[in-house]
Amino acid sequence: MTEVTGAAEQSRPADAAAGIPIRSSELSTWQAMRRSWQAYALLAPIFVLLIIFNYYPPILGLLRAFYRWRPGVEASFVGLQHFGVYFTSPETGRELLNMFKLLAFFFFSGAVVPFVMAVLIFRIRDTESKELYRLFLIIPMLVPLIVVILLWKQIYDPNLGVINGLLEQVGLGSLALNWLGDTATALYAIMFMGFPWVSGVGTLIYLGGLGQISESIFDACEVDGCTGLRRTLLIDLPLVLGQVRLMTILAVIAGVTSFQTILVLTDGGPGFATMVPGLTMFHKAFRTQQFGYAASIGMILFVITFTATLAVNRTIHPAVEDVRH
Amino acid sequence: MSTTTSTQVAPRPRRPLRIYQIGSHLFISVMLLLSLIPTYLLITWSFKNGLQYRWERWAISFPLRWRNYIAAWDVVGDYMINTIIVAIIGLMGMLLLSLIGGYVFARMDFPFRETLYYAIIALLMVPWVLSFIPAYMVYVRLGLLNTRLSLIIPELAGGPIFGIFLMRAFISGIPEELFESARCDGAGVLDLIGRITLPLSLPGLATLAVLNFIGVWNSFLWPLVMIQDDDKQMIAVGLYKLARSATSGGVPGWTSQDFSVWGPLYAGYVIASLPLVLLFIVLGKFYVEGLVDSGLKV
Repeated sequence: MTEVTGAAEQSRPADAAAGIPIRSSELSTWQAMRRSWQAYALLAPIFVLLIIFNYYPPILGLLRAFYRWRPGVEASFVGLQHFGVYFTSPETGRELLNMFKLLAFFFFSGAVVPFVMAVLIFRIRDTESKELYRLFLIIPMLVPLIVVILLWKQIYDPNLGVINGLLEQVGLGSLALNWLGDTATALYAIMFMGFPWVSGVGTLIYLGGLGQISESIFDACEVDGCTGLRRTLLIDLPLVLGQVRLMTILAVIAGVTSFQTILVLTDGGPGFATMVPGLTMFHKAFRTQQFGYAASIGMILFVITFTATLAVNRTIHPAVEDVRH
Repeated sequence: MSTTTSTQVAPRPRRPLRIYQIGSHLFISVMLLLSLIPTYLLITWSFKNGLQYRWERWAISFPLRWRNYIAAWDVVGDYMINTIIVAIIGLMGMLLLSLIGGYVFARMDFPFRETLYYAIIALLMVPWVLSFIPAYMVYVRLGLLNTRLSLIIPELAGGPIFGIFLMRAFISGIPEELFESARCDGAGVLDLIGRITLPLSLPGLATLAVLNFIGVWNSFLWPLVMIQDDDKQMIAVGLYKLARSATSGGVPGWTSQDFSVWGPLYAGYVIASLPLVLLFIVLGKFYVEGLVDSGLKV
């Protein structure tokens, strides 16, 4: 019986704030912890798993970035050597430039385009078509990413691809290119994948944000004659800044760290035309067994994402809560 | 949407508004149709034989060649079953840990509660690039290379990070009176979790399940480096390898001459998409809500 009342007190933070403090200050932390053994017992399996598989690896990675490291061999300390090698190797400049180009593009395709689409759909007055549009936004998301990538690889194919096929049909066969195989076009072909970039998570998240804005704000702004683009910039945009920030951060993370699409489409080629640091990390680890070197590239990418995320968080301040309902 | 205030002002701006509406409809429709083209091509190609694929690239060819789907299932079926096994085992464990963790942080009061909570949530900030290489080494060290366990553990260990975040918020919303009365009836912690919290947090768990299932279904780089045996491989890597071997004529049972390999290959892509379609039909509401919520909470 004592245990039951104990649990009741524990799980009522409101009471703890009101009357219990006097009692809990009498208790030492140790006694309080012993009384709450059930909570710790329930959390134990979660923390065991997290420590082994989620805390240990990144910490190990930060350390091993300074070691020569491969499976089955004792790791040996090499200091800053990996970083020196990475920043002096001839391909690095190209890789980083590609990464920043992709990052800038992902901001456009992942944060800007979905916002425009969401605003347009949100202002459609006919609820039935609105629902229909939402459904059509979701359909392409039901195709697994790998299928989308493989499909676009086929669309770009120099001989069998539909892009070159279309160009030939309209008499522009001379413009047909080996889109993914040409140094000049490969990176842009990778960006173009997924055109027109409207379907998916982004638009739905923005639509959710717009749906949260209080109706009275729109009414008030209509009375003031604030419509169209003015409303978009003065009302819609400021009130979904939380979502803008989220999508921007996701775009930054994708731009800096993602390389699955590139791995499948070009594997960094032709030459090093579409190489990005993440893919170099992958190659160094799994093709040449340089795990320490790969860990150091992982660390560089971590520092870049972390700094960029902080910068985004500092720059974009979501609107205050009281204008929402 | 039109309220009394807007109808009062209406007479003047009504015309441009209607043009604006029609223009929006047009623009949205065009954009959506463009984004559906690849999906359309995928489905039509999956029903074509070699000649139809070569010469009727854009149109739907009749009769539909269902045989492609049989040939495709023979190859992708095993990958799909592997993925479903991994996903379901991982999901069960992940949901259980998220439910327990969510309950403990939402409903129990104990020293260091917030510290421990933020120790978990902080892991959301660790980008996967930092962990990818060392995690591989840790799994190799533990002898998990080329085992199904290596695919289940990331789900089981990593899934609850976001899971606890979501479930804490969800369980905090359950009225305290329900727990109160159960405690008066002598219910212990496990009863409170299993009999009260579980049935009331099914929508939250469904959201988690959908998001994680999609994650597992799309997982590519991790199984690519962890799994060597083809009979344990996951669907995304399976399709990637299939696409490579199909074009070089290396798939047993598929004729590679005269473009006839493409139909079955695309049929395989379609089959691989079906579980996500099915999931969406059954639990789509939770998926969309989950996405929108995560956009609101961050």
